Amino acid sequence: MSGISRAPRSAEGLSSTKDLKEALTGDRAARFVWLCNFEVEHRWARAYTGIPAVRGSATAATVQRMEELGALLAEPGDHLLLDRPLDAHYRRYAERTGLGAPTELVTRAPAAEGGTAAAVLDSPELLDRLRALARDGAFLMPMGASDRERRITELTGLRSAVPDAAVYERVNSKIYSRRTAAELGLRTIPGFCCETAGQLRHALEEGLREGDPVIVKDAYGVSGRGLVVLDSRKKADQLLRMVDRRARKTGDDALHVVVEAFLPKRFDLNYQFTVDRHGGVRLDFVKEALTAGGVHLGHVMPADLTAAQRDELAEAAERLGKRLFADGFFGIVGVDALLGADDLVYPVLEINARLNMSSYQGRVTELFGRSDGAALAKHYPLRLSAPVGFPALAEALGPLAEPPRDRDGLVVTCFGTVNAQATAADDAPAPFDGRLYAVLFAADRAGLAALDRRVTTALSRFDTTERTP
Amino acid sequence: MDRHHVVAAVEAALGEVLERPVTGLTEDVRLFEDLHLDSTSVLEMLMALEDAIDISVDPESLDMDDFKSVGTLTDYVLTQQAPSGV
Repeated sequence: MSGISRAPRSAEGLSSTKDLKEALTGDRAARFVWLCNFEVEHRWARAYTGIPAVRGSATAATVQRMEELGALLAEPGDHLLLDRPLDAHYRRYAERTGLGAPTELVTRAPAAEGGTAAAVLDSPELLDRLRALARDGAFLMPMGASDRERRITELTGLRSAVPDAAVYERVNSKIYSRRTAAELGLRTIPGFCCETAGQLRHALEEGLREGDPVIVKDAYGVSGRGLVVLDSRKKADQLLRMVDRRARKTGDDALHVVVEAFLPKRFDLNYQFTVDRHGGVRLDFVKEALTAGGVHLGHVMPADLTAAQRDELAEAAERLGKRLFADGFFGIVGVDALLGADDLVYPVLEINARLNMSSYQGRVTELFGRSDGAALAKHYPLRLSAPVGFPALAEALGPLAEPPRDRDGLVVTCFGTVNAQATAADDAPAPFDGRLYAVLFAADRAGLAALDRRVTTALSRFDTTERTP
Repeated sequence: MDRHHVVAAVEAALGEVLERPVTGLTEDVRLFEDLHLDSTSVLEMLMALEDAIDISVDPESLDMDDFKSVGTLTDYVLTQQAPSGV
């Protein structure tokens, strides 16, 4: 194993979250109340009609528990809003890694459809606690802001570390992404912005002309939803029929979707930059993204790019950051991009001006990443017949459950998702799908692949079904 | 169309979306947990069902709970087929 660690060895020495605090508030020592409100995207989407969709979500319980990813991004002096406490064993584990864990602020009742933000608003004692933190100067730091997060700041006096809800809504549309990329002269994915059913019809006629498939994505799509791949004229006609039927029923043919071609690619990319309060832009990282069918599976770092390709992404980040700032935004921005089979960088698939999955890995990779090493962030799908406790999981992982200091290993970054889909105690037990989020560290890609296999084998006692990209 | 034929149509639609043969399902088989249907495939699944059976589906009239199992989806299709007023 090669590589000498230059990483700091304790939570106090970690700078990534301090850097973020400085960018957003001007104060590296600011105290944040974190709210990892994944549901905020639904809030942004509510006024924008997308492709016809079934109500509800099959994975809502899992997504709700992903708010626990914030535990390792927050500093130990921070607070984290949750709709149920962290597992006590997992919390002790987080502390043992040296990353520490924030003070938990738990809502009166578990979140319903409105997510944790709505549950906070329904928790008078918690609002009082937030008022006390506000008096000490704390900031509310949500993954993204909507009217609900704005209401929390109004009711408690917490200062907002992020821009207003209207700005978030404006810049998180995929239509905004496409138009901004085009206006900035960045290399774009061939496609169309559609704001009426008629424009969708035209886009599908044009897009399918050569016989290659296209993807239709809601302007405000949420991960794993609001997208459909059309590989034939017949399927396109079916979608158009559904859209036309709805338009006739509602008397409104407004639609907010993009239609895009699939470019032959070497791999997907995800890069993050931070726009500070004064418009300064800093590129945080570039990662390779593992995806399958539009669904996020994980990230590998460093991305296998040439210096010229990296420079192009850095230039894109700078220009996008300046434009976002001009449009009222500051904060973390993740951008999905790709490296085409032609070795050209396509720097904007979509802009996500909010915390992204890879944002949550900041302090973990800072503490355990080796300067010339490699890391892989992913989730392991688990097929469980009954809830699994953290001790049983740690036992299955054996030595891998120990913090990976100067050796190959992993850090569990979210445990709550493992049992999120478990059937209620009074229902008949039935197998369910869990997810274990982790970041793996090794000297190189081959080391990561070997480690990934070890983890999969260790978890196989829980009947893991490995899902390979 | 009777229930047995609707289950067969659901199997055919699942086979098309999952790109593998799907036969012999019992009604308690769950679409997401047991067959690993992905939520991104739900719309495609409804399109395949429209193809297999002469119905028109309004996705927004469905809830994810209708996709819980082969049986619940079959129930939904049968209600769509019922003559109005019944």
